[in-house]
Amino acid sequence: MKLDLNINGEDLEVDVSGSELLSDVLRSKLDLTGVKEGCREGECGACTVLMDDMAVNSCLVLAIQATGRRIVTVEGLAQQDALDKIQEAFVEHGAIQCGYCSPGMIMAAKALLLREPRPTRHAIRDALAGNLCRCTGYLNIIKAIEAALLPPRDREERL
Amino acid sequence: MTYIGTSLPISSGTPKASGSLAYTGDMKLDRMLHAKLLLSPHPHAKIKSIDTAKAAAVPGVIAIFSHENTPATYYNSALWIAEQDFVPDERLFSPVVRFVGDRVAAVVAADEATAEHAAALIEVDYEELPAVFDIEEAFAARNVSRDPETLPIYENPISDMTVEYGNTDEAFARAHLVVEDRVKTPKTHHCAIENHVCLAVAERDGSITVHTPCQSVFAVKFIVAKALSLPDDRIRVIKAPTGGSFGGKSEPVLEPLCAFFSRVTKRPVMLQLDRYGSIVSTRTRNAAVGRVKTAFDKDGKILARDIQAIGDAGAYRSGGNMVVGAMARRLGRLYKIGNQRFRGWSVYTNTPIGGAYRGYGSSQIHAITEINLEHAARRLGMDPVELRLKNLVEPFDDDPAGGPSVGNARIIECVKEGAEAFDWKNKRNRPRGDGRRKRGVGMSCATHGNGHFGAYPENAAATLSLRDDGGLHLVSPLHDLGCGTVTIMRQIVAEAVGASPEMVAVPEADTGTCAFDPGSRASRVTYIVGECAQEASLMLKAKILEVAALAFNSSPDDLTLKDNQIRSNYGGDRRMSLRELAGFARQRSPEDISVTHHFKPRANPGSYAACFVEVEVDTLTGLTRVMDVLAVHDIGQPINLTLAEGQVHGGIHMGIGYALLEDLDIDPDTGQTKGNSLSRYQVLNAPEMPRVQVLFVESKETTGPYGGKALGEVATVPMAPAIVNAVNHALGTELTELPLTPERVVAGLVEQDELDQA
Ligand code: FES
Ligand code: FES
Repeated sequence: MKLDLNINGEDLEVDVSGSELLSDVLRSKLDLTGVKEGCREGECGACTVLMDDMAVNSCLVLAIQATGRRIVTVEGLAQQDALDKIQEAFVEHGAIQCGYCSPGMIMAAKALLLREPRPTRHAIRDALAGNLCRCTGYLNIIKAIEAALLPPRDREERL
Repeated sequence: MTYIGTSLPISSGTPKASGSLAYTGDMKLDRMLHAKLLLSPHPHAKIKSIDTAKAAAVPGVIAIFSHENTPATYYNSALWIAEQDFVPDERLFSPVVRFVGDRVAAVVAADEATAEHAAALIEVDYEELPAVFDIEEAFAARNVSRDPETLPIYENPISDMTVEYGNTDEAFARAHLVVEDRVKTPKTHHCAIENHVCLAVAERDGSITVHTPCQSVFAVKFIVAKALSLPDDRIRVIKAPTGGSFGGKSEPVLEPLCAFFSRVTKRPVMLQLDRYGSIVSTRTRNAAVGRVKTAFDKDGKILARDIQAIGDAGAYRSGGNMVVGAMARRLGRLYKIGNQRFRGWSVYTNTPIGGAYRGYGSSQIHAITEINLEHAARRLGMDPVELRLKNLVEPFDDDPAGGPSVGNARIIECVKEGAEAFDWKNKRNRPRGDGRRKRGVGMSCATHGNGHFGAYPENAAATLSLRDDGGLHLVSPLHDLGCGTVTIMRQIVAEAVGASPEMVAVPEADTGTCAFDPGSRASRVTYIVGECAQEASLMLKAKILEVAALAFNSSPDDLTLKDNQIRSNYGGDRRMSLRELAGFARQRSPEDISVTHHFKPRANPGSYAACFVEVEVDTLTGLTRVMDVLAVHDIGQPINLTLAEGQVHGGIHMGIGYALLEDLDIDPDTGQTKGNSLSRYQVLNAPEMPRVQVLFVESKETTGPYGGKALGEVATVPMAPAIVNAVNHALGTELTELPLTPERVVAGLVEQDELDQA
């Protein structure tokens, strides 16, 4: 069937089957391979995208459920090749090692920023609860998000 | 120093953050096929027949493979040098499956969904055979399995080694106190977020190109060539970006299969496992059981130690014997122990295969010995820090077991500075709480090596050239697993030459262009390849200045190269950029500005860590929460501070899992892996991460690049024993079976109550 999808600000018509997952459609049909997969069961968060500004695991969403919603993947964050400030902070603060969790983490952080412009450290940790990272121990990710969201005086020194 | 010790951001940061970096699973080639594996549901069974008719009838299926139509060549996936004589006992598909998750068949189809669907339609008739899952039972069982062709023989033990020095028995006889423990460590999954994946491309000339997020392109090349009975030069292996490895992608698992499928179908084939496949059918950390006896004099000096350990290699031997060997190699490198005996065995079990895992052997042996030391401190009535300070090695001590010197070992500083910064004495003596929640603190020390020297051959090679655009180009078989290897090499080259890091290009390994090197393993890259790169850089710089001397009409000694520019030490306005110099050399110099350097290390110092933790245990539920961690490391000069801290953070994360959560948890009746998905195999998430402080002691390792040495592996090693020690401190228990799940903690408390009442 043909679906009308809004992906990264663009209206697209995509041919999908009724049971196809959003993550598969994004990766295989639209070549948005910034959407990663680590489990296909909603545990790792590598496939996190924004759906109407909310972070969702795209491996748990059927493509048809995305009709009429705004979907943003990590590829949709940078504006004219300039990285979003969250992406920049990730690069700057050691939040990226192997990078496989990074797109999902960045989208989870983006969703947090959209709903809560001045989150506490506690809120940041909670916002990442569904995203696994095996490399960083999360600490530099939390630091990067604070750096992107908060003026220096509001950052806690110790991790 | 300009670049060493700074926090230069990781080189691949921008493509990773933007989502544009193509990992193997993101690659798409014309006419590419997808393969899916069918894995064994039985822990040990003979395959009587395989019916592929239904699967073959599915539209889009191109080929189906099993033991019936694939080579019966046996190989050992742990080797990394051609012709290394490791006993071969694995093949692409075996007629006898030896664990739940062993490979039975594969379907290659036009797309992934079709391959998966068809694989489920393959009908296999099995004859089940007796299986053994427990390490000690396997040790007693001896004969485990046999292929119908009777070759090879799977018989226990796989290996039996003894290391002994001094006079252990005599020292035990005069001991003031002997403390004995039996410690068990679990089989664990690396849990790189990127699942295992490989892409093989049959080229028009009959050769095969393999794209893989591996740790050693040469190991892949040798093993693929062996499994397919092809000459080595028909296989080219290109390192792909890696979404985490931690040892898990060290041994070629998918590569020989994928290469074979591509060779037969004459099309590119992608083989990607799902999480279940990654957990059960690739590699795991060898589980271990250790019995340790340590003898002390009345002042707490260690007189002698006697250890017996069995490592669980799983269903195929891989490097099981080497893991036990690595355990043995740590024995005399952390504490001064004059008399010691170690006997270690590796055994087959009908469980997922063991392999390399961050902290290779060290994680197991330190769990065994550091938990034992905590108990010893208790019985000696000594503080665990004091006990360690009495016994720790000092810089440049010899290894009593005959290994290389421990190098500039600064573990004593690690412990002293750590105890102070953690406020150890106060925290240790604080009341532990008399309510439901109890607090405790614990600590542990650890060491890990820097490369293979002393155990296996070791070498590195690098070609460094000045390009015509003034950039530098380092060709060395590097495998960045996400730790920032490429970034570190850029810093070293930039520092040594006098260029800026963005002028240094460092492509990753490709057997088509690089000289042999063992790969990212054994904590060898920063220390050995880094040293090789530094030496090559200094040689290149000398060459650059020689040519510049022609241009400046002066002596090379009178010139300085800094910030990509050459100028005279005697003033003057003349500046020559590296680009201008490259152009000048092209036209005027008799030689190209390029050096090839081969490096063989003659040392293997230890990297050291001391870790202090505070835990809170809920005595009702048995749940343990790690509250605070302080990790102090001696890694010589950190090359990149942010990356180094990141390694420690990740090591702590993994170590907490090892202590409290992570276990494949093989069902003792069925051999099924219970921890077979990310919902069942628990990995710590962000809210669960404790507060962490990371310190590096002032130190330089003279034989390493700019005084640097390895970090990635040692960073995880002390965590688990430190946590176990903290839990035992909180509860007054002597728990020794990892992970300390709530059930085990509660059982330990019940047992303790019974003892108290008796
Ligand atoms: S792939 Fe979607 S949550 Fe893991
Ligand atoms: S950076 Fe590797 S999984 Fe997060």
